[in-house]
Amino acid sequence: MKNSISVLGGTLENLLDHGKPADQGDPAYPQMAHMLYQTRRLSDNLMQLLALYKEVGKPTYPFEPNTVPVRELVQQVAGQARVLLESKQIVLELEFDGDLLWTFDEDLVIGVLAHAVNNAVRYTRDRIRLTIAERDGMLELAVADNGTGFPPSMLEAGTLVGQGVNFLTNSSGLGLFFASEVARMHKRRQAVGAIRLENGGPLGGGRFVLTLP
Amino acid sequence: MTTTYITASGAPSADIADVDWAEKRYLIVDDFVGIRQLLRESLRNIGAKHIDQASSGGEAMTLLLRTHYDVVLCDFNLGEGKNGQQVLEEARVRNLMIPSSVWLMVSAEKSVESVMGAAEHQPDAYVIKPITEGVLLTRLNRVWHKKQVFREIDAAYIEKDYLRAAKLCDAQVAQHKVHEIDLMRLKASLLLKAGEPDKARTVYERLLEEREYNWARTGLGRIRLANGDHEAARQMFQGVIAENRFYIDAYDQLAGALTLLGRHEDACGVLEKAAKLSPNSVPRQRSLGNTALRLGNIPLAEHAFRKCIAIGEYSIARTVDAYLGMARVCGMKGDIKEALRLLAAAQRDFPGDVVQLRSKITEGLVYHESGDFRRARKSGDELEALLQRESKRPQTATCIEMATLLFAVGVKDAPVELLCHVIRNNHDNPVLVEEVQKIFDKARMGDEGMEYIAGARREANEIMNKGVLLWKTGKLEEAVEWMRDARVRLPDNMRILFNSAQMLINHMQLHGYDEALMVEANGVLMHVDELAAGQQRFAQLVEQLQMLIPGRAETPEAIDAEIDALRGVAEAPAA
Repeated sequence: MKNSISVLGGTLENLLDHGKPADQGDPAYPQMAHMLYQTRRLSDNLMQLLALYKEVGKPTYPFEPNTVPVRELVQQVAGQARVLLESKQIVLELEFDGDLLWTFDEDLVIGVLAHAVNNAVRYTRDRIRLTIAERDGMLELAVADNGTGFPPSMLEAGTLVGQGVNFLTNSSGLGLFFASEVARMHKRRQAVGAIRLENGGPLGGGRFVLTLP
Repeated sequence: MTTTYITASGAPSADIADVDWAEKRYLIVDDFVGIRQLLRESLRNIGAKHIDQASSGGEAMTLLLRTHYDVVLCDFNLGEGKNGQQVLEEARVRNLMIPSSVWLMVSAEKSVESVMGAAEHQPDAYVIKPITEGVLLTRLNRVWHKKQVFREIDAAYIEKDYLRAAKLCDAQVAQHKVHEIDLMRLKASLLLKAGEPDKARTVYERLLEEREYNWARTGLGRIRLANGDHEAARQMFQGVIAENRFYIDAYDQLAGALTLLGRHEDACGVLEKAAKLSPNSVPRQRSLGNTALRLGNIPLAEHAFRKCIAIGEYSIARTVDAYLGMARVCGMKGDIKEALRLLAAAQRDFPGDVVQLRSKITEGLVYHESGDFRRARKSGDELEALLQRESKRPQTATCIEMATLLFAVGVKDAPVELLCHVIRNNHDNPVLVEEVQKIFDKARMGDEGMEYIAGARREANEIMNKGVLLWKTGKLEEAVEWMRDARVRLPDNMRILFNSAQMLINHMQLHGYDEALMVEANGVLMHVDELAAGQQRFAQLVEQLQMLIPGRAETPEAIDAEIDALRGVAEAPAA
């Protein structure tokens, strides 16, 4: 299944990427862009499920943090989002310290950020900003948009995550639950990672924040 | 320095300036045609021109034999036949990859099985699907840079000059902060290999002050284990598992600690759990089979050996132990025919005198355990005849197994000779001496055995003392010659081997470098390493030996200078 979705997503991306500018007037173009968005969602959710629940109730993920240059993290997240954003004419703004190194499980963090960007595509008008900076000894990674902000139910889900909320009852719950699990796996001395959702970020819309120790 | 990019395409591109990815040779291995096409598309987008594809492990091997690839993108799950890890292992063992080539292991998901390759056959990186160009290029560049940083260290490692390799790690950390953790991790394992557990412990403890790395905690446990503090080691491994239930290495180590504590049942339980989590390891299934066999748990032993044979079929790590163990299982179940069939298969598939001998011993044990004493005796007689024809003796463990069988079937002189050989070659190993005494006791030869053991130890001591005396009294040439003879008579005696190597080195230190002596000393040390790896004296002697090579740097500062010089050649100075 994972292979099939990969092929579907990859093919759509190639079609959109190599499409001539004239194609963008074609009514099929935005439909294809939307298909790519949906495929990404499907792929992310499946990856999250596989990572969390490969065997029922038994996470079998080999967690291994490594030192990663923040610049390379940004390259990979932005690279994954490029075609989708271009096809939807959304601008991605990046703000980060190009010399910063941090220790985390790279695949997991890319997964969380890529999903957050994909999610922001749904809420934004035309801009998304990825900000990564060190704050009080923690790495703060935030994805903000200029949409109308998260609906109250999602903000609530954001605060309830990790407190035993039944994430499967909420459509956005799986992604949040996955993100909070990823955050909590990261520990350093006494500090533990966390996530939060806010409204009224730098672009005036919603803001997803992942902090890593 | 904070950078802000506001672009429609949205990405700072990866630096490709210093690596020419376009001209390299690529191999894509995936059983799914759609994925192969996508990967080829991604590679073309980063400029690649020479791309080959394989749809199975077998096909990949054929191509790898024909061409040296610079980059291999290999899926872990390849359907029937070899999996990606097995392809990698075989390619490494058969030297089909040049040191600079890059192996990226691709999998649809990150699972324990897909990222737990044999420690010595790790890919350069794991990548999860879907693979986008950004991820691909970033990971390729990273691996390439890392290879440059580790190149010198790897070279010293291959020469088994572990102490020099550890010093090189320190020299590199200063310049490559991003690889600090990996370099320190490697440094600790090098220090362990060099028999410097205290220094390795310091490295691990410093790393653990920063973060709870499973491998560092497990490394500390391993040091405790080597120091004989089995209970403390057990608790450390247990702690790692409590924190991360999927850190497989800790299970294997825990089983080892429990075995040393004499808790065989518990060890067996831990191995069983580990084998459930990650079943595709030949050594793990072999340990499980042997442990279960020892406990008399025939169904478990059978299951483990069967699995071991099945996964070994496509693996270079395939082992004759599984066939011999399975034959024992069949013997205990009374299926003599199947046992003999397995022994025949073992001799056919693993040619060599050692396997023939071990098969013969197993055959005797199978007959003996199934109650066919007449045939068991016949096997014993054949072994006895073999020992008379052949003057070279097998490894210690095989000698002991053979002596045990021979006593059991009523042969007397041959096992005594074997056990004396074992003692002569291990005269200062009290654990082994005790084990041999027990075998004599069991054969109702307790008192005689004690005398045999004392005689063999005396003999070894005399040979050793004569050599050392010659050396200490300045008769170096004679001492070297004496030790040469001693090595023929006691080929596996660790102290004789070490002293012999020491004298050869001393000879070169006094009289200058000599190619023949260098080769001889190196051969002696490699034999020691084969008998028992991780000896401190081994590492020290290898280092002394390497320093004798003309033009080799000696101090950490000199190594730094050497590295700077190398860098100066590789990179033009900034204008």
